[in-house]
Amino acid sequence: MKKLFCVLFKKDIRMMLSGKFFFIAFGSLVIYTLFINFGYVNFMNDKLYNVYVYDPEGTRQEASGAAGKAGEVKAVASREELDAALSADTNGVGIDASLSTPKIVMYAGSEKVDRHRADYARSLLVLRSRYSAQPYPRSGSRHSARVVGTNTRELKQKKEMCCELLFIEIVAVGFLGIASVLFKEKQMGVIRVHAILPLKRSLFILAKLVVFLLSDLVFAALMTALNVGINGAGDILPAMLVQTGILSIIMALTGFGCAMLLPDFRQFSLAYLVIAVFASVPVFLSANTSVKMAWIDWHPFYQIYMGLKGACFGTPVIRPSYYILCACGIGLLFAAVWTAFRREMGKEG
Amino acid sequence: MIEVRNLTFSYGKDKEALKGLDFTVEDGEIFGFLGPNGSGKSTTQKILTGILRGHGGHVSLFGQEISKAHTADFFEKIGVLFEYPYLYANLSALDNLRYFSSFYPSGQLRDIGEILEKLEFKPDFLKKPVASYSKGMRQRVSMARTLISNPRLLFLDEPTSGLDPSGAVLFRRIIEEERKKGTTVFLTTHNMLDADLLCDRVAFITNGNIAALDMPKRLKEKNSSRCVRIAYLYQGSRREKTVETTELERGIFFPHDEVISIHSEEPTLEDMFIQYTGRGLS
Repeated sequence: MKKLFCVLFKKDIRMMLSGKFFFIAFGSLVIYTLFINFGYVNFMNDKLYNVYVYDPEGTRQEASGAAGKAGEVKAVASREELDAALSADTNGVGIDASLSTPKIVMYAGSEKVDRHRADYARSLLVLRSRYSAQPYPRSGSRHSARVVGTNTRELKQKKEMCCELLFIEIVAVGFLGIASVLFKEKQMGVIRVHAILPLKRSLFILAKLVVFLLSDLVFAALMTALNVGINGAGDILPAMLVQTGILSIIMALTGFGCAMLLPDFRQFSLAYLVIAVFASVPVFLSANTSVKMAWIDWHPFYQIYMGLKGACFGTPVIRPSYYILCACGIGLLFAAVWTAFRREMGKEG
Repeated sequence: MIEVRNLTFSYGKDKEALKGLDFTVEDGEIFGFLGPNGSGKSTTQKILTGILRGHGGHVSLFGQEISKAHTADFFEKIGVLFEYPYLYANLSALDNLRYFSSFYPSGQLRDIGEILEKLEFKPDFLKKPVASYSKGMRQRVSMARTLISNPRLLFLDEPTSGLDPSGAVLFRRIIEEERKKGTTVFLTTHNMLDADLLCDRVAFITNGNIAALDMPKRLKEKNSSRCVRIAYLYQGSRREKTVETTELERGIFFPHDEVISIHSEEPTLEDMFIQYTGRGLS
C-alpha cells in the first residue's frame, strides 16, 4: 500500500511539474508578497482625500496645526483656485474658510461617502487636543477604543491581506490546479487504465489530495513567513496550517469532483467561475466590509475564512463542532468524489 | 476461464444493453467477440474486466463470481488493451511502463527492454515523451503495458488498429505466442481478418444478443454454397465456370486448354456476420 501510494505520489508530482503548477504557485507567491509589502501597506497609509483650504486669515490652519503637516491640507490663495483644484481632483474636498462659518465645497458623490469626505476634511482642521486620529487614543478621550492584541498597524494590515490572498490562492488557484491535472489525465484516457490495475481507487484520490495539500501547506508557510515575518509566523503558523489544510482538502475534493463530472475544461471553467465567486465574494464582503448577509453564518467558506483569519491573529477556532463539521464535510465530499471517479472509469473511450 | 450465463445489463430504465448473453471461453483459447458499434461488446468487456457493475445473470472468471473478484489478485491476473493507446503523453515509453508495472508484484513482471524489443519499438524513442510518437508506436507501448504483467487472461480491444500491415502481422504473431504460453485471449474487434486468422471461436453480437457462436471455419462451411469458380483458357479465350464441389470429385470434366485459377465460393466471415446479424460492421 505504502509503495503504491509513493508511486502515485511521484507520478502526480511529475504531472504538476509538467503542468507548470509549481511555477505558477511560486509566481503567485512572489506577486502577493510584493503587493503586500510594497503596495497594500503603502496604499493603506496613504491619505484618503486631498483637502484644499481657502483661508485668507489663516486662522483655521493655525488652530489645527495643519500648516506644519505637509501634504495633509493644501492651502489655496483664492476661491477661484479652490474651484480649479476641485475640478482637477473631483474626489478632493474644499473648505472655504473665508466666511465666518467655514463651508465645505466638493463634487457630490454618494451620500454616505460625501459625509465621510466632509468629516475627514473637518477632522484635519479641528484642534489636535480635541480630536485624536492616533491608533492608540488617550484615555478619557471621547473616541477611545480598546486595543486588542499587540499587532502594529502595519502588521495587522499585512496579516489581513496575507489571509485574504492565501484564501484566494487556495480557493481559486489550488482548485484549478487539481482539476487541470485531472482533465489532462482524462484527456489522455489514463484514468480508465487505472480501473484495471491492482489498485484501490481511494488510493488514487488520496495521493492527489496529499500532493495538493502539501503544496498548499508549503505555500501557506512561505506566504506567512515572508509577509508576517519569521518570528511572528512561528506563533501563528500551526493554527494557520490547520485551517489551510481544511480549506485545501475541501477545494481539492471539489476540483476533483468537478473534473470527473464535467466533460471538458470549457465547461469546467464556467463551474470554476461560479464556485470561486460563491466561495469568495460573499465571504470577503461579510468579513471585510460593513455588508452583512443574514445567511452568511451558514456559508461554509465564511466559517473557514474566519477560522483562517482567527488563526492569523492568534485567536484560532477551538470549538469542537467546527472541526467535526469540517470532518463530516470532507467525508461526504470524498464519498461523492469516489463515486464520480468510479463512474468516469466506466465511460467509453 | 470465463463463464457467462444469461448476462443482462441496462444503462437506464429503457436502455437495455445486454439481453441475456450465454458463452464460455476455455483456458488458452482465443475468443473473438464481434459486433457493430453499440451492439453491447464494450459493455460485455467492461463487465468482464470489473469496470462495470450492476449486471444481471451469472459471470465467473477464474472459477470465481465476478462480483466477488474485484480484488488486487484478480486485476493482477488480467491484462487489458484498450481501443485507444491510453498513456501519459508527457512521460516516455520507459517511464510509462515503469509506472504501470509498479502496481504488480515484481515476481510476475517481464523485462521492459525485452518486451519492447519484441514489439519492434524504435529504441531511439525510448526516453522521448509519448506525445512525440506515431499511433503505431503508441499502440506498441500500450501492448507492452498490457503484456508486462504476464497476465493469464488478455482482453484485447482492436489490437491492430492504427498499425501498418507489418505491425498487424507482428501483433498477430505476438497474440499467437501468448496463446501458446497458455494465455486466454478475449478479442473484441471489427477486423475480420484478425478474427479469422486468430480466433478459435467467434461470437457475433448484435443488439445485446449473440446471433451466432462457433469456429470461424465452421461458420463459413455451414453457410457455404459448396461451389468453386474456375477460370480457364479454351480455344484462345478466357472463360469462367462455377461448379459444385461434388462435380469435381472426378477432376475437371469440361473441355479446357489451361486452368488459370480456382476460387472457392466459401463466404467470408464478414458475409457471415451480415447474414447472422443483418448489419454491417460499422
